This record gives sequence, C-alpha cells and structure tokens, in this order.
Amino acid sequence: MMLSLPPAFYFIFAAIILPFLPKRLRNIIVVGLPLGVFYVISQLSDSLTFTLPFLNIDLSLLRIDKLSKAFGYIFCLSSFAAFVFGYHIKKPYEFMAALLYIGSALGVVFAGDLLSLYLFWEVMAIGSAVLIFMGTGKHASKAGYRYLLVHIFGGLVLLAGIILYAVQTGSLAFNGFETVTMATSLILVGFLINAAAVPFSTWLPDAYPESTVMGGVILSAYTSKTAVYTLIRGFAGWEILIAIGCLMAIYGIIYALLENDIRRVLAYSIVNQVGFMVCAVGIGSKLALAGAVAHAFCHIIYKGLLWMSAGAVIHQTGKHRFTDLGGLYKAMPFTLLFGFIGALAIAAPFTSGFVSKTLIIIATEKAHLFVPWLILEGTSAAVFIIAGIKFPYFIFFGENKSVKSKEAPKTMLIAMGILASLCIYIGCFPKKLYDLLPYSDIVLKTLPSQFYEIYIHHFSHVVVRMQLLFFSILLFFLFLPLFKKTNTLSLDFDWVYRKGGRFLYGCLDKTLNGLNSFIDHLVVKKGVKTCADFSQQAPAILTWAVLKPLYLDNEKAKEIVYKRVKNNHLSVSLPALAFLAMLTYFIYHQLF
Amino acid sequence: MTKTTDKKRNQGYFNRETTKKMLWRYLWIGCLLSLGLEFFVHRKSHFGAQGIDGMFGFFAVLGFASCLLFILLAKLLGLVVKKSEDYYDA
Repeated sequence: MMLSLPPAFYFIFAAIILPFLPKRLRNIIVVGLPLGVFYVISQLSDSLTFTLPFLNIDLSLLRIDKLSKAFGYIFCLSSFAAFVFGYHIKKPYEFMAALLYIGSALGVVFAGDLLSLYLFWEVMAIGSAVLIFMGTGKHASKAGYRYLLVHIFGGLVLLAGIILYAVQTGSLAFNGFETVTMATSLILVGFLINAAAVPFSTWLPDAYPESTVMGGVILSAYTSKTAVYTLIRGFAGWEILIAIGCLMAIYGIIYALLENDIRRVLAYSIVNQVGFMVCAVGIGSKLALAGAVAHAFCHIIYKGLLWMSAGAVIHQTGKHRFTDLGGLYKAMPFTLLFGFIGALAIAAPFTSGFVSKTLIIIATEKAHLFVPWLILEGTSAAVFIIAGIKFPYFIFFGENKSVKSKEAPKTMLIAMGILASLCIYIGCFPKKLYDLLPYSDIVLKTLPSQFYEIYIHHFSHVVVRMQLLFFSILLFFLFLPLFKKTNTLSLDFDWVYRKGGRFLYGCLDKTLNGLNSFIDHLVVKKGVKTCADFSQQAPAILTWAVLKPLYLDNEKAKEIVYKRVKNNHLSVSLPALAFLAMLTYFIYHQLF
Repeated sequence: MTKTTDKKRNQGYFNRETTKKMLWRYLWIGCLLSLGLEFFVHRKSHFGAQGIDGMFGFFAVLGFASCLLFILLAKLLGLVVKKSEDYYDA
C-alpha cells in the first residue's frame, strides 16, 4: 500500500513533521528520504494509479511511465546530494522549504492530469520562493518578490490555458497537444515561463544567485527541468520550440560572458543548457525526446556540482564576485577538483555531458536541421569555456586576490564527490542511463553504449569533440583580457518590469496624485474658501448689488457697507431697504 | 638567491612562469594532436556528401570561431547593457 502513494507525498509529509523531530534526527531523515523515495519509484509499476477526489473531480496523482520515472530518479538523486551538501544546516526551515519544493516538483512529474499538475506547480513556486527569501544577501528579498510575481503570473497564464482547454475539450487529460489554440498556446507560455525561455528568462539569473548556498544547488535542478518534462509530455514536435531553444542557447552564452557574479554565470548557463533540451523537444523525434531527458538528467548532476563548488567558495570566503576572487587552488584543492570535473562534464569525453549532448546533436543531424545543429555545437563549445574554463580559472587561478579561505566542510566535499563520480560513471558507462530513458530501444540501436564502442570504435567522434574543446580553450587563453570581469550588472529583459514598473508607478503617481492635488487645490483650497468668503460676505455683496444704483457706485458707500457687514454692525434697515428696492423693481418690471 | 627562492615558494605552482609556459605548451600540443588525429580517423558529413561539417578541421574552426563570435557579440552588447551595480537601487 505504501508503495502506491505518489512520491510527492513522502517529501511533503517530511516537510510538515520536520520541525517536530529531534534535532539530530532531522538531518539524517532529509538525507535518507530521497534514497528511500528513489527505491519506491523503482518499484512503481506502470499500471498503478492514485486518485484523490477534489471539487467533484478525481485528481490523478500517479502516472507511471519511463518519462516520469526518469525525472523521478534524477530528482531523488540530486536532492540526496544537495541534502548531504547542506548537512551542516541546523535550522529546519530551509530543509522544510526544500522538501516542499522537491516534493511538489515530483508531484508535477507524476501528475496524471492538468489540474493536479497545476496545484503542484503553484506549491513548487512557493517552496522555491521561500528558498530565495532565506538568502542573506541584501537583494534577496527583492529578488524573491520579483521571482514570486513572475511565477504567479506564469501560474495564472497556465491556469487560464487549462480552464480554456477543459471548457473546449471537456477533458483535463495531460497528453501531447496537437492543435494550436488559445488554450494550448497559454499552456505553452505557462510552461515556457518556468523553463526560463527568452524573454521570460530573467527570473532565473535574477533570483537563484540570491538564494542560500544549499538553496542555490536545489533551485538549479527542479523548476526549469519540470518545465522541460511538461514540454516533452505536452509539446513534443512543436517546431517553434526549436527556434526558442536556439535563442535560449545563444542568450545564455552572451549574458554569461557579461556577468561578474559566480552563481549568476552558472544561472545563465542553465538557460543555455535548457535551450538544448527545449530545442530537442521541438525536433520531437523519439531520439530527440530521449536526448532531452538524458540531457536533463546529466545537466542536473553536473550543474548541481558546479553550483556546489560555487556555493562552497561563497560559504568559505563570503565573496561571490569574480573580481573579488582568485588564486584559491591552494586553499580549496578538493573543491577545485570536483568543480573541474563538473566543468568537464559539460561536454568533455569520459563525462556525462559528452554522452547526453551527443544524443541531441545526433537528433538534429538526423532531422537535417543544419542551423540549429550549428548553433548547438557552437554554443556547446562556448558554454564549456564560460562555465567550464572561465569559472574555475577566475576563482581558483588567475590573479591572486589573497582571499583567506579553508577547504570546504567534509559533508560538502562528500556531496561533490558523489556527483563528480556520477558524472564520470555516466560518461564512461552510459548504458544504465540509456536504459532509463523513454524510447531506450531506439537510443541503444542508434548510439553506442559500451565504453569500448564509444571511445575506441567511434574514436572519430572523440577527435572532433577534442578539436572543438581544445580550440575553444586556446581562444580563451589567447583572448584572456577580453574575459576580464568588471563590477557591473547587465540590463536584461527584467528591465521591462524593474524599471518599467517604476516608470508605471511614476506615471500613475504623477497622473493620479496630480489630479488629486489639482482637485484639492480647486475644491478644498479655492472652492471652500470662496464659499466661506461668500457666505461671510453674502449679505454685504447682495446688499451692495442692490444699493449700488442708489449710491451711484460710490466707493465710500461701498466701503461702509462692507465694513458694517464685516463687523456685524449692519443695521437691519439696509438689507430690508435693499429687499424692498428689489421687490419694487420686480413688481415694476412685471407690471410695465 | 634566498629571496628568489622564497618568492618562488610564495608564488605557488600555478603562478610560476615555468608552469605557465609548460601549460601553454601542453595546450598547443593538445590542439595540434586533436587536429593531427583527424588524419587517422574516417569521418563524413552528416548534411549531404559535400557538407561543410565533413571538411578537415571543421570542428577546430567551429570551436575557435564560435567562441570568438560570442565574445565579440557580448562586448558589443556590453556597451549598451552594462550598468553600475547600483543601477536598480538608484
């Protein structure tokens, strides 16, 4: 019975009970839990379902197939390593937010219908936002708010799409969408916002680097990859995704080159790598889809490793800018070693990126898509020198900035060691990974999976990859001054809502408050005063208006009338006389 | 003499000129080796018989040129989008 529960439940339940557990037990449980859930997922059979009644709808929380299982496995593996990395954390709240976030990501992956997917989607946004709010930097809370607003907006777009789709088709089933309608387009935009697709990409590099050290590692894995999962499930073969993916790949590279914050460089390279996956989804062939899953799998591992090495450096030195770091190789040799393996794993032979990227590249070749192929090959060389060479070079080598530091704590090194081993293992023996993929039979038929076949029999592939990497490294060192960092930030698409928001606020402030003060001036300051003056002087004005002809507009007489009215000395006779005069005039006018 | 030895020791292995020269040499060897090995492997284009990707040294040029292109693009874009760090706080 226990084994048929949705994997999300274990994480969410653990998040709820965590603060009530004894301190020593907490960290052991969070480390052990992902391994347990990994086993549970491996035991789930395809026929299993789990439904929960909600508002007269049966939510389907368990859909088991190779696609959902592959994402389930990697989510558990990466969360295990992340919790080992954060083992030093004493307070339970960060773990609670992380468990909620990972649990809901698993919920999305195993959701059988659009509504349950949406519910987990929103919980995921909340869990991840909490991880950003917990960041200690001065920009963390503002970045957290922006992150939350973007995801609330994305969630609403998705919800609008789901409601329209349900109304039009009468179904909440989440399978491949075939026709372009308003409903499916809104759902696609909702997914693409979470995939950090251009121009909705800036929330990722804006918010993730502001998170805590462990939070950054965790955030790097789930939101964008659940989005990739949903795109594979719903939008395989939608050709627009090829263009979007290529754009993401180029955008990620260019902005990573401009960036000075070490984790922000990694964040931009996530956008670049997710671009590969989105492009593969757009191609839509079985090989491409398997490639997208394989690359998501490997990317979570090596990018997690890179985030860990960046996190360990920040944890030990308190510095996060390239311009403040340098020459740490003596103080943190193991962090360097593991970080370097993570860097190599982006594309180098004998590492995971080599085998997973090859799948996508071959899929573009088989689809005869030359331009996307060229962009992916070109950006894969560029991302290797940015996240792979530049990242470790400026932190661990380069100019020695005399930063005082010690090697990272043992638990952090163990976590990095686990992921580094996985990077190399998958790179040398990818069959285990290929077996987990959807359409694994086609993958195994098309690509070599044994060490000998990959590296000896298909040596030509290794040679071209070595050319690509060696010559990009050569360029890096030949043009090293061009890579020099500056203490600047780069304007991005978020300028629209960060400056645009202020501009809108300014416009509304000027217009509405201007109108307000004008009315205030007109009514309160002028109008009321005029009324008050008038009511005070009304008898005098009226009296004088009537008496004016009698006194032949004599100024002295006018002064006397006004003075008497002001001093309240006006004899009754004058207004009475005025009234009488007015009455006489009226009668005279009526009669003659 | 003692001063020079002390300086060398403080400099660290990777900051020494001799190490840098050695690493440069390895890098050039790596580049040439990866190019040279292409003579010994059979490779063909994936985009037609006369596809550009089948040409000798195509991937070496691609690696070098694409990175150069992206750096130049980034430098160019940087002229417009680079702002001081307190740009949004001001």
